[in-house]
Amino acid sequence: MHIGDGLLSWTWPIYYIITIIALYFALKWARENLDEKHIPLLAVMAAGIFAIQAMNIPIPWGTSGHMMGAALVAIVFGSPWAAVIVLSMVLLVQSFFGDGGITALGANIFNMGIIAGFTGYGLFEALKKPIGRFPAIFVAAWASIFVAALAVAIELAIAGTFPLDLGLFYMGLYHAVIGLAEGAITVVAILAIQNVRPDLLPWGKGGS
Amino acid sequence: MEVGINMGIMESIKIAEQETTKESFLHSLDGRIKLISLILIIIYAVYTTDILILVIAELYLLALIFISNISFSFALKRILLLLPFGGFIAIFQPFIRPGDVIYVFPILGLDITYQGLMFGILLMSRLVVSLTAIVLLSSVTSLTDIIGSMRKLGMPREFAMMLSLMIRYLFMFYDELEKIRNAQKSRNFDIWNKKTAYQWRLKQIAYTIAMMFLRSYERGETIYYSMLSRGYSDHSNIYNQNQKLRSGDFIFIGFTISFILTLELISYTPLI
Repeated sequence: MHIGDGLLSWTWPIYYIITIIALYFALKWARENLDEKHIPLLAVMAAGIFAIQAMNIPIPWGTSGHMMGAALVAIVFGSPWAAVIVLSMVLLVQSFFGDGGITALGANIFNMGIIAGFTGYGLFEALKKPIGRFPAIFVAAWASIFVAALAVAIELAIAGTFPLDLGLFYMGLYHAVIGLAEGAITVVAILAIQNVRPDLLPWGKGGS
Repeated sequence: MEVGINMGIMESIKIAEQETTKESFLHSLDGRIKLISLILIIIYAVYTTDILILVIAELYLLALIFISNISFSFALKRILLLLPFGGFIAIFQPFIRPGDVIYVFPILGLDITYQGLMFGILLMSRLVVSLTAIVLLSSVTSLTDIIGSMRKLGMPREFAMMLSLMIRYLFMFYDELEKIRNAQKSRNFDIWNKKTAYQWRLKQIAYTIAMMFLRSYERGETIYYSMLSRGYSDHSNIYNQNQKLRSGDFIFIGFTISFILTLELISYTPLI
């Protein structure tokens, strides 16, 4: 889902502006809501997510993919801004090694940090009461991938590098399948965290 | 998630970081200068629509790779490995872009258009130039230096601090992941083995990821306490070596900017 340099034509500065504004609010959130303990914590989490993203996972159809982790971070930290911060760091370092472009970094953070983080967190919050906590995590993690993929298709179409109908169809179809794996992995991972360190989860605070 | 060669990204970071310990003119330059110069080249490559200009820029970057003592074959291999990320979209251009049809595949009924072909080549050239610039940058500038330079160029304090902490633990977590995977391998677990149920394999991966998440969280807590005991507070700042720019730095950035301006002038000259 990492967009490379040149594929956004002239539109890349727009996403930089959106991303810089979002990062301003994310840092403001971090200053107001987190104690200084969380700065090392978010940093080390970013290193952990980087390693998690480096792990190839088999996907049906004989291809492979890797975790994105935006929904995981947003749900465990109880805020989409945490996902924005962690994913920005991961994507920034990846861009210095050619995984996603330098000019496309704004768009990549916009898709995988902001859109995926807010979709994941928002759906989880909206659905946890009606359908239960863990089904909500599954849907949220799946949607975080799916919606981010649609955003990529729309951005490429705006830039004029890939037609909208084909892009929405293929990006959507492919990531709808991949999202199932992200959803399942996120659910099992959060279940495992709940068993071992329930105090880390927003709903388990003070419970351990 | 996506199709990835990402197991390769950690390896390529490792080798690139080793390359940064070599010595050459480019290695000795200030990090800020290299960062700005190569980002300017990338921005220009994304902006220009002239393939000839991109060819000249690519030759210039290859020459820089050549004089900076870094392994040529490794640099080329990294560029080739990274191409599929965006190259995929470039390759499709001749088939999806409307224009004058220059060739029709007899069996598939696919049209290749002239405009599409040219646009595909343009996208591919932009991608190659950008990747060459980034491979060069990461081979002559260490990650610590890149982050330090970005801090000096005005990145917010907290963000720079988190990044510099993050890159310190990057390799550690990669090793942790490898340890978990080796332990799984020693028990004959193979995530690519189709004889075991897909669901079960996915569950094992999820446990690995939960383990990584917990290890990084707990490591983060430990690191915080050890930092606290050494005087860390929310007003702490990362240490930044105050490096003065030298004449070589000014020459390099001056040369880069005049190089880009010359390219822009060439693109307006009707001769070529």
